[in-house]
Amino acid sequence: MEVSFSKEIEALRLGAGQTFHGEGILAITKGLLQSGVAYVGGYQGAPVSHLLDVMVQAKPYMDELGVHVEACSNEASAAAMLGASIHYPLRGAVTWKSIVGTNVAADALSNLSSPGVKGGVLIVVGEDYGEGASVIQERTHAYALKSGMCLLDPRPELAQMVRMVEHGFALSEASNMPCMMELRIRACHVRGSFDCSDNVAPAISTRALMSEPAGFDYMRLAHPPVTFRQEKLKGEERIPAARRYIVEHELNEDLPGSGAHADLGIVVQGGLFNALQRALQLHGLADAFGESAIPMLVLNVTCPLVPEQLAAFCAGKRAVLVVEEGQPEYIEQEIATLLRRRDIQTPLHGKDFIPLAGELGVEALAGGLGGWVARYLPQRADAGANDLLAANRDRRAAVAKMLETPLPTRPPGFCIGCPERPVFSALKLAQQDTGPVHIAADIGCHAFGTFEPFSMGHSILGYGMSLASRAGVSPVMQRRVLSVMGDGGFWHNGLLTGVQSALFNGDDAVLLIFKNGYTSATGTQDIISTPDEAIKEAAVDKQQSLVDKNKTIESTLRGLGVQWLRTVHSYDVAAMRSTLTEAFTSDFNGLKVVIAEGECQLERQRRIKPWIASLLQRGERVLRVKYGVDEDVCNGDHACIRLSGCPTLTVKDNPDPLKVDPVATVIDGCVGCGLCGSNAHAATLCPSFYRAEIVQNPRWHERLWQGLRGAVVRSLQTA
Amino acid sequence: MNLVQPITLLICALGGEGGGVLTEWLIEAARVAGHAAQSTSIPGVAQRTGATTYYVEVFPLALTSLQGRRPVFSLSPVPGALDAVVSSELLETVRQVGNGMSSPERTLVISSSARSLTTAERMVPGDGRADAQRLVDVIRAFSREHQVFDMGAMARESGTVVSAVMLGALACSGVLPFAREHFEAAIRGHEDPANPSRATQASLRGFAQAFDAMHQPREHAMRLRQMLDGGDAPAAVAPPLPDTVRSRFPPAVHDLLSLGHARMLDYQDAAYAALYVDRLEQVLQAEREVDPGGVHGFSTTREMARWLALWMAFDDIVRVADLKSRASRSRRVRSEVKAGDADIVKVYEHFKPGVPEFAALLPASLAARLTAWDARREKPWALALKVGSHSVLGMLSLRLLASMRGLRKRGSRFAHEQALIERWLNAVIAGMAEGSWRLGHEIALCGRLIKGYGSTNEHGKRNLLHVIEHLAVAHKSGSSPQARAEAIAAAREAALQEDSGKALDAALVRHGAPPRPVTAQPIRWMKRPPSQARQEPHAHSR
Repeated sequence: MEVSFSKEIEALRLGAGQTFHGEGILAITKGLLQSGVAYVGGYQGAPVSHLLDVMVQAKPYMDELGVHVEACSNEASAAAMLGASIHYPLRGAVTWKSIVGTNVAADALSNLSSPGVKGGVLIVVGEDYGEGASVIQERTHAYALKSGMCLLDPRPELAQMVRMVEHGFALSEASNMPCMMELRIRACHVRGSFDCSDNVAPAISTRALMSEPAGFDYMRLAHPPVTFRQEKLKGEERIPAARRYIVEHELNEDLPGSGAHADLGIVVQGGLFNALQRALQLHGLADAFGESAIPMLVLNVTCPLVPEQLAAFCAGKRAVLVVEEGQPEYIEQEIATLLRRRDIQTPLHGKDFIPLAGELGVEALAGGLGGWVARYLPQRADAGANDLLAANRDRRAAVAKMLETPLPTRPPGFCIGCPERPVFSALKLAQQDTGPVHIAADIGCHAFGTFEPFSMGHSILGYGMSLASRAGVSPVMQRRVLSVMGDGGFWHNGLLTGVQSALFNGDDAVLLIFKNGYTSATGTQDIISTPDEAIKEAAVDKQQSLVDKNKTIESTLRGLGVQWLRTVHSYDVAAMRSTLTEAFTSDFNGLKVVIAEGECQLERQRRIKPWIASLLQRGERVLRVKYGVDEDVCNGDHACIRLSGCPTLTVKDNPDPLKVDPVATVIDGCVGCGLCGSNAHAATLCPSFYRAEIVQNPRWHERLWQGLRGAVVRSLQTA
Repeated sequence: MNLVQPITLLICALGGEGGGVLTEWLIEAARVAGHAAQSTSIPGVAQRTGATTYYVEVFPLALTSLQGRRPVFSLSPVPGALDAVVSSELLETVRQVGNGMSSPERTLVISSSARSLTTAERMVPGDGRADAQRLVDVIRAFSREHQVFDMGAMARESGTVVSAVMLGALACSGVLPFAREHFEAAIRGHEDPANPSRATQASLRGFAQAFDAMHQPREHAMRLRQMLDGGDAPAAVAPPLPDTVRSRFPPAVHDLLSLGHARMLDYQDAAYAALYVDRLEQVLQAEREVDPGGVHGFSTTREMARWLALWMAFDDIVRVADLKSRASRSRRVRSEVKAGDADIVKVYEHFKPGVPEFAALLPASLAARLTAWDARREKPWALALKVGSHSVLGMLSLRLLASMRGLRKRGSRFAHEQALIERWLNAVIAGMAEGSWRLGHEIALCGRLIKGYGSTNEHGKRNLLHVIEHLAVAHKSGSSPQARAEAIAAAREAALQEDSGKALDAALVRHGAPPRPVTAQPIRWMKRPPSQARQEPHAHSR
């Protein structure tokens, strides 16, 4: 983790009377400190990575406050950490990417929710849903319902988000229920401002330690027979307590609006408020300041719902619309039930107008709203919104027609010089020798191997699950099966669910581990196999990969009993090709592990760039490597690109007036990783690639020697 | 009800282009100018070379005039309700237009003309690049106003990243109610205006460049036209052509003919150039007979002048060594790698010649024996070389190889290539002779299938021969010359589309020709025995 958050850390120190300017997730982080949080943990993942990254880097300040920060090995350990608040009056917060992280944490969450908490607990989940999401599209809401946790879904406005953090802890303490706060992607990255209050140092903290453990109390164990009592408590005491708190502190906002259409009503998740507002504006039913012609109940807490509050809102209205994102429509169903029980006959609508699947952006909402408005406000039906939607439909069709063929997609891919790209080049070549193999893919940067030009991977079953996910395939497949895993996934759970299980069952499996030293896809956070800072400091040549200096993965595997283990340098395509071929064809029938060793290029560049700059500034010798293609030798077939996909290996118009197809070219930005040359050899590509080593500020004897040599070479050259 | 609406901006950038910084600047500029503003983004993993968007809303009225009320901003862009789209990449701009974002009534589109080609475009064996002209047409057709210029070039000129240029262009457009100073203050941030950091100075330069460029519509229009004409593509300068040769061909053919003729001299010798001219003349005669009036402007002869020259100058190690040992080449490398005059540049050539490369220069009998030996090996023999052409020894060996032109002519490959060229040539002439100009023309264009070295070259020849064998020649398929011409065109396009050959075989079958025979490729794999034969788990046992 060599990104610097110094600016953000400064913002965390702001106090009463000062104004915070920045992103939503940072505001949440500040909110935690203003709430006197005692411990923070979690596992990185968009869109909430920054929360933990900043806290980890702000360690000195956290120590000042006495706040403990833990970078957990996965979401399960983060959730388990919350156990501290079962016995002790400690406010704890953890964060992760949902739905996936919540799935991993589910066991601990159940065992936390059953005994309930004494100190306030806030779980900040990044609801990775809709545009820009990278995971399965499911709702976190289900977990709150089944485990009896509160779910906060604040209006995406910084002051309101921070207010809900502070109330979240108090609500948790008032109800003994853990609270989850779901933040959608755009809410995490929304830039705004809010007026700060002072941070609160926790009463019990790493600076003010507890002297004695709590007394034994069976009721605080998630263990029979008390689990039966605890289940009753959820319904009899905790949820009612939570509802009382929600009403007393007006966490949900009842907005009567202009009163123009007081006989209608809309119930909306807090997080969708802004999109709904804009949709209403398009229909001419709201102004730019959020004043709506239709009364609104904004649910900043979507679980538990407050039946009395909803009944009062719906009673006597001509119709109520529930604006709820995703499926199933839990909120709408619950409202329907509570209205029915109270025999309130107000027509209730929701997913009959609002799309069941997908993010509720303004356009989607305006469309859904259109149908509802047409039915209950026919005089409004001709408002501009419908024209806009129709125009959009027509325009999209017109553009598609004009383009004839759809535009090529641009998915994210391996960075320039990424150490994982060469491994897929080798894998592509190896399969030419061994025939195609079933490839169990995994979560991480290496999942970019599923995109062109590699298009590899048969399944993705979760983070670190690749080896486990082939357990049913390899026994019934004549050819060996390959499992691909990053070191991030390996430590997240691949070691146990995959390696341990394969060894125990004596499975014939091949595991390829990408050892790049960090959990790179989530923002290059450190893990236990990350090269130490001391080693980075000591390194004379800052350009070299340093992951080989940390052998934790190798020693762990050996200790576990792995007998067939090979470590190959990522950029040596030929060696990787033959090692993979050996793994696929060897007569050793146990677990075969190939470790592809090459440090994350993002991290290396963050180290190299300032180093090079400083050398040049001091006028010292610098060796720069760049690859190139001879435009008159290149055969214009682009086989090299189909084997690499590096953004800097692209094509340009053919300078030869006789030839028509574009030639390959290496553009600025090439970091000289060596893949081009390595591929040229391993795959016997055309001889157009050259490796150029540029020596800046050469030493005097180099200049002298070059002078002599250059003269001879020039005399040999033709024009 | 207050009907004032926020100003809405969509920003499109690729990873690492500073889109995040740009939005920060915009928010800061709004703060400095005293307007309410909000930005959102969906970075996710898009920073890893993918495309990403940022969305900004700014309230047109100053905060002071709102009596403490705060506008409610949308977090997501509303298609058709945007005031401006600012984008650093042409295709991504059009993608957003295709998503319906830009409205011809409302939206100003400021886009870079620069292309960052997608993998899908780059990996095509032929030319898979999207048509830039059409992309710009789409922008023109679906925007209120559009500004298209090369932001990348402008950023490089001012030694900064593209985000500063985007800000300058946007600032000048007048979409936002801020003054130039507001934007520049945002770039400076909290730095002391007296001595700004180097990065800030560069950003301010880029900002100013774009801001001023927007003021000069003429220069800007020129940039656009340049981009449309394929930018700075060098015009082909035709080398001198002997009048004896020139007089034998119609003017329409002269430019490519002279290029081809010069290529033959450069590649081999005068005799070879003469052979080239004779071959081309056969095509000319055939074309004259089928098209006496020259209705088609002798374009078959023209195309043959191109493809025949390229095939006759087939690439081999002699040619490569020659090309890589020229002074002009080392100058080109120095400029490509942006080496300073004082810098030392060492150039290493990646070669991996195999038996075929050497056999090519040997007489047929010897060559046959050598290849037979190679075929018997488990893995074909090849020599991975990294030759330093900056070193005396390296350059000597390159020149030595380059001097073996004589060997080439006596070598086995030379004869082989000539035979194939004749087959293709005759097919073209036969096509014409059948009375179908189109048929001959399409066969001529198939010269495009012949490319480069080793396997790629073999692959191309196989495809061409198969096409000639089954589509060009009449007796095979009863279909009309016209039908066969279309079939050949379809097959050629398919072959250039992707390298696996699936598309080509499909096209062949569609036109009643057999798919290409499967070429045997040995693979090694460990056939795992069914379970009863399987040993007990060795690691642990229960």
